[in-house]
Amino acid sequence: MTTLIVRRLLSALPIMLIVSLITFAMIHLIPGDPAVAIAGLSATREQVENIRRDLGLDQPLMSQLWHWYANLLQGDLGRSLLLGQPVVKATMDRLPVTLALSAYALILTLAIGLTSGIVAALRQNTWIDQAAMVFAMIGISLPNFYLGLLMIILFAVELRWLPTGGYIPLMQDPIGWLATSTMPAFSLALLLAGLLARITRSTMLEVLRQDYIRTARAKGLPNRQVVMKHALANAMIPIVTVVGIIVSLLISGSVVTETLFSIPGIGQLLTQAVLNRDYPMVQGGLLITTGLLVLVNIGVDVCYALLDPRVRYDG
Amino acid sequence: MRRHYLTPFTLLAALALGTQTAAAETFKCPSTGGNFVFGQEANINTLDQMTSSTISTRNIAMNIYESLMTRDENNRPILELAESMTEAPDRLTYTFKLRQGVVFHNGKPMTSADVVASFDRYAKVGNQRSTLDNVDRWTAPDPFTFVMHMKKVQPTFIEALSSFSVPIVIIPAENRDVPSMQLTNPIGTGPFQLVEAIPGSSVKLKRYDGYKPNTTFEQRTGFGGYKQACLDTVTFRIVTEPGARVAGLKTGELHGVEDLPTKSLPDLKKDSAITVLPLNNWWIQTASPNVSNAPTDNLMVRKAIQAALDMDEIMDAASDGNYRLNVGFQYPNQPSYTDAGKETYNLRDAALAKKYLGQAGYKGEPVILLTNKDYPPMYNSALVMQQQLQAVGINAQMKVVDWPTSVQMMQNTVEGWNFHFTGWGTQPALGALATMQFLVQPGATYKPKDGKDDPDMLAAWTDMNTLPTAEGRQAAFAAMQKLALERVYALPFGSFTKVQGVRSNISGFVPFRIPRLANVAMKN
Repeated sequence: MTTLIVRRLLSALPIMLIVSLITFAMIHLIPGDPAVAIAGLSATREQVENIRRDLGLDQPLMSQLWHWYANLLQGDLGRSLLLGQPVVKATMDRLPVTLALSAYALILTLAIGLTSGIVAALRQNTWIDQAAMVFAMIGISLPNFYLGLLMIILFAVELRWLPTGGYIPLMQDPIGWLATSTMPAFSLALLLAGLLARITRSTMLEVLRQDYIRTARAKGLPNRQVVMKHALANAMIPIVTVVGIIVSLLISGSVVTETLFSIPGIGQLLTQAVLNRDYPMVQGGLLITTGLLVLVNIGVDVCYALLDPRVRYDG
Repeated sequence: MRRHYLTPFTLLAALALGTQTAAAETFKCPSTGGNFVFGQEANINTLDQMTSSTISTRNIAMNIYESLMTRDENNRPILELAESMTEAPDRLTYTFKLRQGVVFHNGKPMTSADVVASFDRYAKVGNQRSTLDNVDRWTAPDPFTFVMHMKKVQPTFIEALSSFSVPIVIIPAENRDVPSMQLTNPIGTGPFQLVEAIPGSSVKLKRYDGYKPNTTFEQRTGFGGYKQACLDTVTFRIVTEPGARVAGLKTGELHGVEDLPTKSLPDLKKDSAITVLPLNNWWIQTASPNVSNAPTDNLMVRKAIQAALDMDEIMDAASDGNYRLNVGFQYPNQPSYTDAGKETYNLRDAALAKKYLGQAGYKGEPVILLTNKDYPPMYNSALVMQQQLQAVGINAQMKVVDWPTSVQMMQNTVEGWNFHFTGWGTQPALGALATMQFLVQPGATYKPKDGKDDPDMLAAWTDMNTLPTAEGRQAAFAAMQKLALERVYALPFGSFTKVQGVRSNISGFVPFRIPRLANVAMKN
């Protein structure tokens, strides 16, 4: 297992290098002047020029690339043009927010998606199956900003159960965190739970038709044991793959939710950075996020090995 | 003989003439306490006010910092951290006597050494540092005197010095050498001090108990005057989604918000717990022609385009119905407003447009409208203008990019566009001088041929800057506006109304260019 993890970590290095190069090239190829974005609407030409000069944006591109890599080797990802603070600090300030929200949304996704997928498979072609799949389709089809707005109207404006937005850190006030994170987490989870429910249902249906399930039932094993021990365990590999994708989507795709609910997470940070051509922030932030996603994928690979000893990683 | 300018007493004289709060008593908080939460529409990038020109930064930072001079409710220069200012007879020296007893948020008394350090830093990293180009040096002969020595006479210097576009805020001397945009712990002399700033989420301020109000005034006026922090704390929460701002105001989680969407106004006006506050003259929606690129290099084509436009239709679409028609580059409530050139505005005359097109020899060349979707008013006004131009036979085409790209194209390229859509907000509010810099080099938005200004425009601009009397400078502005409209160097469509709102238990919140939280109180 250690060899597997070390191999995966080493293979991540070229990925990080390629991602950093592609990111640098893409963000600089996009037309648009970061100084204009930073100066804001109604800024004068002098104000824009001063920003460009002060931030070194008038330097040649190759010089900027050289400086970025030279600093990267020393562990310095640069300073955000927009925020004026180190990229690492800006990212690390926001990362826990997104990770906490993603973890909450993931728990909800697993609870809703796995349960409804399994139940739908066990009650195939009944009204329960139909209802679960309709629910899944609604979750997949509704844009999460629209779902979020509907939730704000219902739970915040009408029922006054939850706040309309804002964020309280988990460590500062767990109850407050729960209150501010519940609507965002549900709006994220309902979309992904639909996806997970459909995958779980189809995988479970396939497994439930296998000979060894019939054998287990013929032996007189209780249905609960058949489903949980034999069927679900064998259905887990494709489900784990989807869960890995879901974690990636939660980390990288929470921007709309974060914007709608005024949550200071990594998605909002990087989107603002792209829109404002905050080159160091985009390059550094994406490098850190890529590293995180690589770790998630290594985690998925490890899960494969744990779930199925037949899976070999010696090639 | 020395002349004293712009003391608060000058302002009080003006107030006595009926502009505001005649015979007012010194302000006293109707109640103290409360935690006010304001829903702000845009993210902030920094609280380093000297280096930022954005409205979102000013929204917060202007409650923390103060300057030697600022602007009053009617945009006139007033003293803030100075108790007097004397202009020498040769007009080459300005001597400021500082108010005594003013204390920074770190507990240190403000002296002229801090003012010198602030001007030193501004000259180095200030985003509008050209304000000090004509200043030879500044000195501090004693702890409460600050003197500015000019290179040459500049009649408009006080107007520039008091500008709130990128104000020269006074900071402690120890922050003199902090690099641009890196002043992360803002310390000022204002009525509120920073508690915490969470980028992308919120900024929390609290009442500064050591604040010394400017007792030469009796009421808050503009960014200055007599200010008191009645609230315990103020939190600016970044709420970029309009629907979420409306929801927050309705539930009472937000006590004040900016930029309420027009569609929600009828509902909000019915709510007795909410007071809707229109802020007229928020910005002037404009399109700038490219006179270096065909066919808009031809004056008659530009005049045809000008003649074809129906400003009501354009502004209605751009502002969702919240607008006022407005000739020129100032707002009608400003002393510098003029309707010079009004005969060119909102003509809606298709026959005249076609006549001009004939005179221009127009052969259907594309007229490219360069706009963006980041700011829907700019996109919407371009869309309506395209339809109006097509209706008179002009081959108008849209080019839609994002805001930074559109500005970059406008500034750096001559080909590929004929009109650039934008909005002018802060500069018109600051006055004619600040606005008309958009029409002369190096910032001329109409792309003058070979980078050379229209000589008539340049002459009027020079007069605006150098004539000794205010009347003379105003006449020069009127002449320049008339020229700009007659030669179609800009198409100002009209002015926007921005709608703010507060909960009904909030008193003293008066719409202004930034939300001023001093003298605002919350009833329990």
